[in-house]
Amino acid sequence: MFNFNSLRISFFLAKKSISKGNKSTIALTILIMALAYINLVFISSILMGILRTMDTQAVNNQFANIVIEPEEDETYIKQVRSIQAKINSIPGVIGSSAHYTGGAVFSFDKDKDGKNVKSQSFQFKSISPDEESKVTDISKSVTIGNYLEESDRDKILIGKEISGKYGSNMESVSLGADVGDKITLTFKNGVQREYEVKGIFMSKYIDTDIIAFITKKEMESVLNQSDRASEIIVKIKDTGNETHYINEIRKLGITKEKIKPWQDYMGMSKSLSESLSTIRFMISMIGLVVAGITIFIVIFISVINKKKQIGILKAIGMEEKIIIKSYVIQALFYSVCGVGMGLLITYFTIIPYFEKNPLDFPMGPVSLVATSQDLAVNMFSLIIAAIIAGFIPAWQVTKEDIVKAIWGAQ
Amino acid sequence: MILVKDLAKTYGGDVPTQALKGVSFNVAEGEFIAIMGRSGSGKSTLLHQLGLLDVPTSGEIVINENNVLSLSEKEKTFFRLNELGYVFQEYALLPELTALETVYLPLMMRGIEKKAYIKRASEVLEKVGLQDRLNHLPHELSGGEQQRVAIARAIVNNPKILFADEPCANLDSESSETILNLLKDLNGDLGQTIVMVTHEPEDRKYVDRVIWLKDGLIEKEDK
Repeated sequence: MFNFNSLRISFFLAKKSISKGNKSTIALTILIMALAYINLVFISSILMGILRTMDTQAVNNQFANIVIEPEEDETYIKQVRSIQAKINSIPGVIGSSAHYTGGAVFSFDKDKDGKNVKSQSFQFKSISPDEESKVTDISKSVTIGNYLEESDRDKILIGKEISGKYGSNMESVSLGADVGDKITLTFKNGVQREYEVKGIFMSKYIDTDIIAFITKKEMESVLNQSDRASEIIVKIKDTGNETHYINEIRKLGITKEKIKPWQDYMGMSKSLSESLSTIRFMISMIGLVVAGITIFIVIFISVINKKKQIGILKAIGMEEKIIIKSYVIQALFYSVCGVGMGLLITYFTIIPYFEKNPLDFPMGPVSLVATSQDLAVNMFSLIIAAIIAGFIPAWQVTKEDIVKAIWGAQ
Repeated sequence: MILVKDLAKTYGGDVPTQALKGVSFNVAEGEFIAIMGRSGSGKSTLLHQLGLLDVPTSGEIVINENNVLSLSEKEKTFFRLNELGYVFQEYALLPELTALETVYLPLMMRGIEKKAYIKRASEVLEKVGLQDRLNHLPHELSGGEQQRVAIARAIVNNPKILFADEPCANLDSESSETILNLLKDLNGDLGQTIVMVTHEPEDRKYVDRVIWLKDGLIEKEDK
């Protein structure tokens, strides 16, 4: 009962201080808290966005959801058509695509005079264009020229980093070839063939933009192989549920081949993800400390200006804890209003803006990714920081002697 | 009612200052006394010790048979709220509280219900002649009115003793007279024990007894 009464008085004093206080100062304090919240959420969301983009790009342009590789000590998966038919029959599987993968020396004689032939090693993949378009977004990424067709034999699709044109980031290693140019590929088995560049794709995912595609039929003629593949990638409806599909694939009798989810191939980005998580944590901590110091300064100035009044309240018999609580409530008010405002700005202005205008990163377009959990954690962290920052100066001043608080040092 | 024995107060610092050097006196219930003396004689320091706003270096203060210096900080806070009233020289009102809110705040602190504390605060403000100023903020009141609000706040809990630290120091003569008459009426009508610090010799006519301080010691007492 008594505690409720002391809380009632604390609320009364806080309410009076806010309602009769300087409106500009209050508005500015709330704005500062809102900006502190946005700062916390923004940095964190950008970093989350980078991670999300890396994952999405890897799934959409490189690995799909599941990758099947040959059994140990084998170069190729055998009876690929039969395996693909079985996999495609699993409910929830969108499609599968079999690839021959490898490296080759790409040579381009720009002037066609044999004097300035540029040669560089690149990775390539052979695809069935129709199958691939169900599994990856490569077909949608062709921005210059055209995508491959099943019947194409002397055509090649190259990434913009091999081309070296159209905003390439790796001009020094690229060939400088455009659509219609002829490129000679020297395969590891010594076979050498000439291909016309049919299209240039820009997936905005650098790992994919630096490879080339030829048709499966063409590759089988180069290798003199049939119904084999270096890998089969599988696209499923529900990303995140890869383990279930891997089990389903194994149940079909595909037991010797290595079957892995796409995450297992994200070695570099996994370490990057861990580093970004550490950076996120550090930035969040710094943001929290800065926000805490801001509210500390605001409350500290308010408390110092009201030092005499605090002394008077103590002199007329008010308990210190009531006075402290009234300042904590004020800090709570500023932080809740600030966080609320920050949340509204984030949800209705910043996130929609970056959805429409994503940032251009090497791994693809990045927009903000703010999960409810992140928003809530940042919200509560900031409110707790504000409460602590409100408590400390109020506690310090209420501990002062009454005479000193009212009349200064004696 | 008040028994003060060998009360001394020394302020620390590079050069310690002995503000009170061993003061002893009694105040009877219902008495209105004034503490007078020149600036620096120790009168405000004495009132701070009596009002439990400060801790003396040595000595004894007994109020209503309570050795108040042995009380804990929490008990002193409770004692100040329930047993003592304090009027400051410079009004000491909170700028964001109206006259009514200022006066009912000590009643709220005692856990009294809203209806009752508003009624009581209104009555006390009427007693000090501010029935038309209930919802005015301090900056909307004159100096004399602000001091009357401060007196109303000090007496609203029916304290055993009212301490007033130069309550008319910042007021014109007319307002000063109003305040002193008000204190005299409280003393006469309600039997309120009052200890007032003042430096105005003409204030002697309102009080029962004057304790003269000089250099931290009682110089004399007269009626």
